[in-house]
Amino acid sequence: MIPPFTLRQNGDAALDICFDATPGESLSRVVISLKNTLERAVQRGDWPELRELIPAYQCLTVCYDPLAAQEPVNVSLQQRIREFVAETIVSTSFPDAADQSQGSQIVVIPVCYDAPYAPDMSAVCAHTGLSQSRVIELHCQPDYLVHMLGFTPGFLYLGGLARELQCPRKAKPELRVAAGSVGIGGAQTGIYPQSTPGGWQIIGRTPLSLFAPYREYPFIARPLDRIRFVSITSQEFEAMKQSAANTSNPVKETT
Amino acid sequence: MLRILKAGLQTSIQDGGRSGWMQYGIAKGGAADPVAMQLANSLLGNPPHHPCLEITLTGPDIEFGCDLSIAICGAQFDLTLNGQSIDNDQGIAVKKGDHLAFGPLQSGARAYLALSAETVLPAAFGSLSTHIQTEFGGYCGRALRAGDEIRLRNCRREPPRQLSNDYQLRYSARPQIRVIDGAEAEMFADTARELFYRTTYSVSAQSNRMGIRLAGNGLDTAGLPQMTSSGLCPGSVQIPPDGSPIISFVEGQTIGGYPRLAHVISADQHLLGQLKPHDRIDFFRVDLDTAIRILRDKTAELSRLIE
Repeated sequence: MIPPFTLRQNGDAALDICFDATPGESLSRVVISLKNTLERAVQRGDWPELRELIPAYQCLTVCYDPLAAQEPVNVSLQQRIREFVAETIVSTSFPDAADQSQGSQIVVIPVCYDAPYAPDMSAVCAHTGLSQSRVIELHCQPDYLVHMLGFTPGFLYLGGLARELQCPRKAKPELRVAAGSVGIGGAQTGIYPQSTPGGWQIIGRTPLSLFAPYREYPFIARPLDRIRFVSITSQEFEAMKQSAANTSNPVKETT
Repeated sequence: MLRILKAGLQTSIQDGGRSGWMQYGIAKGGAADPVAMQLANSLLGNPPHHPCLEITLTGPDIEFGCDLSIAICGAQFDLTLNGQSIDNDQGIAVKKGDHLAFGPLQSGARAYLALSAETVLPAAFGSLSTHIQTEFGGYCGRALRAGDEIRLRNCRREPPRQLSNDYQLRYSARPQIRVIDGAEAEMFADTARELFYRTTYSVSAQSNRMGIRLAGNGLDTAGLPQMTSSGLCPGSVQIPPDGSPIISFVEGQTIGGYPRLAHVISADQHLLGQLKPHDRIDFFRVDLDTAIRILRDKTAELSRLIE
């Protein structure tokens, strides 16, 4: 099914292509496919005015240079984007577009759910009425879909948290959450790539680096990859933390 | 070589920033006031986005380890070279062993120290800019500290040049910032929008390169629908639940979920880099065509100056 879309100005240097459909896997496939198609067109030199493409749950943000966009084109940028989106949607059979052949991966992320790394585990158990082992079991069960990256470098927006695990964000965010902290905030779960303030309930920590600026691919996953959390002991956590190799080679399986 | 004797509040390496990485969560970054940076570089014949030192509110003391030329544009500090007073907006020859000191700040918030040399540092994502919030790029991913030494290469002397008086930058502590409607402007009640444009906001001390937080009349966000997070661009004026506007800035988050009432026009975003805590700002609404026209005019004027 092809979702209808609208264009919306996002400041004077960006347009949002917004789809009128519920966020979810099939919509994310549409947004990411469109982003990839447009990115290839930019690489071919077709859109010299475009600067950035930012996919999100329902929108693809297209940042452009407003002065370059005013150049000899006799159709406005808005109109050209509208046509491009319509043509792309018609010519590709979303939602199973080219991206699947690109091979999305399952990225396995080891997490230690033990006390020193899980300051809010007891709060989550109390809120959900579940035992710690059940929380871990439920958190490790799904293969979470990466909808997008953003917010801070390498932060993953994941879909698929079990309803039983949902619990509210903290009323007062912590000033400093350790890098690698795995948390639950409302209906979302995720990992803090950097040590930042944060309001999620922290139930574990991964020894992997989610963002390594000088690594060949500096991030741990791409949109439409899947994330699988695997429980490890604190001994394993410390061993992995100390082994330099783990930061550059997260375990990956190709689907 | 360039040795930091005293660091100042936040002295960092900045250039034109990085492009194409927002989809991974990496903001463009770069100079908070790219106009001042480009003018400083132009006085030395550097490319416009050549890496500079961005100096914030309290300046550093620097010793030079080679002969070269420097130029300082942007915020006005009381500057001395070996104890002798020097001015902004001109190329100045320095010798090995010379000592540059930034005294009290007179206007603006950020000065740019351009060097007629290359800084020897590793690029990250195609830029030498320090990403202060995430700690990568620049010099060890952080603001400079006393004792740091930055290696320089191809140090050269440039004939002294000076910006004409007409173009020397002076900053108001109460600028007017032009905005267009934000992506969610129409979601806000008319009373909230009117209040926003009627209020003189003051810049909070919690502002940084990621966002400029404003204090003043809080806006009512009670009736606003919950939003799904989407791409957030620099200049966006978000209204979080407490009603106090936050302007997304050069190191801003790339995905956001608060409604955007307004958007600082691209042409005025460089002025945000000269705001300091307790400065006051008024917002003035223009339409999209006007925003583009102002950008074209300002860009043309800057190109004339730096060519």
